[in-house]
Amino acid sequence: MNTDQTLNLNDLVEKYTDDLYSWAYYKVTDGELAKDLVQETFLAAAQNINTFKGKSSPKTWLFAILNNKITDHYRKKVNQTVSIDHQLFSNLFDEEGSWKKEKRPKDWQEEEKNLLDDTEFQQILEYCLDELPEHWNSAVKLKYLLSKKGDEICQELGISRSNYWQIIHRAKLKLRDCIENNWFKDE
Amino acid sequence: MKKVMHILFLSCKKATELIEKKLHFRLSMTEKVQLKMHKMMCNACTQYEKQSKLIEKGIAKSKEKDFSQDEVEQLKKMINQKLENKN
Repeated sequence: MNTDQTLNLNDLVEKYTDDLYSWAYYKVTDGELAKDLVQETFLAAAQNINTFKGKSSPKTWLFAILNNKITDHYRKKVNQTVSIDHQLFSNLFDEEGSWKKEKRPKDWQEEEKNLLDDTEFQQILEYCLDELPEHWNSAVKLKYLLSKKGDEICQELGISRSNYWQIIHRAKLKLRDCIENNWFKDE
Repeated sequence: MKKVMHILFLSCKKATELIEKKLHFRLSMTEKVQLKMHKMMCNACTQYEKQSKLIEKGIAKSKEKDFSQDEVEQLKKMINQKLENKN
């Protein structure tokens, strides 16, 4: 029985690692983490191989395990204490909540499409995303990584709507400020 | 005067919050009107909204990346080893 199982699983590894890894890579955008998640998926599959009754295809089964692992990963990250960054707000806004003069968004003076195709702009964006606290970073990317709507993301992560958009609000304020500082640095 | 304006037409802090909320959820009727009025009077927040949407597109775009087939082969080996060790 044991040999059968390993044989079976090795076939699945051969067949589906590529797809699973692509998917995980796309979702977490971190190669090492994606590899870990795929490994964990197969280890979990090995543990539960007896519960797999062939009701779904092995591929569907493996993807379901992987997706749970990905959601778990994000849930852990987002639920790390939401540090309310008062400094961020007081850096950008005055006591009445108006933009401070030097922090007011400037006109980027460039067509949207040109900016998006600009490698330097993309690099600055990547840099600024990395500069965000980790759980803010995940919250901002989630919408695209999971291709889900706000409500579904909140449900999966077990956080309230207001909590979610408040994280996004802070993250985006910081991100925009960082991009503007770097984009206009040399001018 | 400024205070009254903020109560009626939001502060910039609140307006930017609603701009982000709007990208993910529906705004209430009041919020919609308040935000619209605010943007009519506030160029900075109008810029903010434009840039925020642009950043969203940039993030979506940055998710397209590639990796090599060698990596996948190595990963397969690693997984098979781990599976063997388990048995």
